[in-house]
Amino acid sequence: MKILMVDKNKCTGCHQCELWCGTEITSVSKELTRAIHEQPQPVPRVYVEGKPFALQCRHCEDAPCIEACPNGTMRRDPETGLVYVNEPTCIACWMCVMACPFGIINPSASMKVAIKCDRCRNMGYPICAEVCPTQAITLEERKDYRTKAF
Amino acid sequence: MRYVIIGGSAAAISAVEAIRSLDRESQIDLFSDEATPLFSRVLLPYYIAEELSKPFLNFRSSDFFEQYKVNAHLGVKVQELSVTSKTILIEGGETYPFDRLLLATGGHPIVPPIPGIEKEGISTLKTMADAEKIYQLKGQRAVVIGAGSVGVESCISLRKRGMEVTLLEQLGQVLPTVFDEEAAAIIQKKIEHLGITTITGERAIQFAGNGHVQRVITESRELKCDLVVVAVGVKPAIELAQKAGMDIGSLDGITVNAQMMTNVPDIYAAGDVAETFDITRQANWINAIWPCAVEQGRIAGLNMAGKKTLYEGSFRRNSIGNFIGVPAISMGLTRADTCSTCEAGESFQEIKRRTKESYKKLIIRNGKLVGAILVGQTQKAGLYLTLLKKQIEVSDYLPLLISRTLNFMDLLPLIRRNADRFTETEFKEIMDTGL
Repeated sequence: MKILMVDKNKCTGCHQCELWCGTEITSVSKELTRAIHEQPQPVPRVYVEGKPFALQCRHCEDAPCIEACPNGTMRRDPETGLVYVNEPTCIACWMCVMACPFGIINPSASMKVAIKCDRCRNMGYPICAEVCPTQAITLEERKDYRTKAF
Repeated sequence: MRYVIIGGSAAAISAVEAIRSLDRESQIDLFSDEATPLFSRVLLPYYIAEELSKPFLNFRSSDFFEQYKVNAHLGVKVQELSVTSKTILIEGGETYPFDRLLLATGGHPIVPPIPGIEKEGISTLKTMADAEKIYQLKGQRAVVIGAGSVGVESCISLRKRGMEVTLLEQLGQVLPTVFDEEAAAIIQKKIEHLGITTITGERAIQFAGNGHVQRVITESRELKCDLVVVAVGVKPAIELAQKAGMDIGSLDGITVNAQMMTNVPDIYAAGDVAETFDITRQANWINAIWPCAVEQGRIAGLNMAGKKTLYEGSFRRNSIGNFIGVPAISMGLTRADTCSTCEAGESFQEIKRRTKESYKKLIIRNGKLVGAILVGQTQKAGLYLTLLKKQIEVSDYLPLLISRTLNFMDLLPLIRRNADRFTETEFKEIMDTGL
């Protein structure tokens, strides 16, 4: 499967990915100048933090969030291997938030669901990789160690 | 190979999945005394609150047993376990042989010996039948005894149904095993804000009423009520193991080794019934919580199917979700000073940060994180969880850990330095960020 890789030498911390992720994925208007006035306010699923570095869900092979979820809301798409939140059944208990080793699941009090990157699974191409001006975020094939015999 | 699993909740289902990941063919018989399968116990308050209907309580799809080729015997009580002949006897007299057995019998709700507890309108909340019963009870006033997670959530669910609710806790704070006084005070305020009367430091001494409960009598007052939920904790359901002469620990749970095997070869135990090594307490403990049951069930299942896997150890972790109205997460120990397992030469340290709406406390023992409480801001909770679970030396990182800007990137050098504590997959997963 393909995952998002981030090159820390190329990431300038410009937050373009955050802005576009929030606008394109969560907002109703899909337009930045309007999106910032929306209530509940749109939120990004990628976080530019630290050094700087853009971090989003890693879609772990052994995903602690799936294991922690008490009603199967956190799921893995059997076809793509991507981990996603089935929003209609999310009860906002935040067990997944507590389990995520990367701290990238947002316990959204206003939306009452756990919000995290689904690697734009319903879109053609991940928006953060598309808009990154330095191409620090790229979509690449996952390395071999993950191949698991089924 | 013939597998028998006794129990049908988190640990049992997780064990089935682990067994089937290695062994697709062998026969698995699962026995549960509850007729309703695959529902999530922790969601029962949501059912009472009418926020989730029955199908949404399930944590696995309804065809789980067919999909995993499990002979599910539901609503069937196992009467006896013979460790010598390796058989179980179920009600009705049938026996089933096994090669490997898992005891995932969970716990029983504690029914305190308070006079009048047998009156109508008083219920614990553990099973689907309990939830159904509480849901059907008529009345305007409810009293909930015990302010643990189940008690608090029961209160809120009854309040959401429009009842007048009083929460009665004999200790001095709400959620006494989950939070310290300071965090509990913030949460108590939120609970009261929902219109729930909270009484702490007071004990129920009698239930009065003519057949049906009408009053809860405490040391200093009488609370009029139409129904009572008793939520004072659970105790391990060890009857089968005890009758079979298996080793029971000092906390009344079944003792297991790191492979989740009991003192009897080929018999395993997992979940609320098992006494496991607690990483933060450095002693055996029963952590009767959902995530521990899932982990232990998986470890037991892998070992039962022949793949030697060791359990890292358990530790308490609780998340107060949107149900209560303030996000709060707590893990490990809650207070340094009341730790009963302290030994000479150990140094404890508490670091706190408080703002008007948020609270953060870390408990450090000998330079390692053994407890964390987060109220308000919780998104980075998993970072603390990793450090706590892996018992990583964090002395150099305390300013970062308590700061608002804590993030994965800044923690990465520390994780790298402790690479040997992570399994191959875990570590590569972490390095897979492109770093």
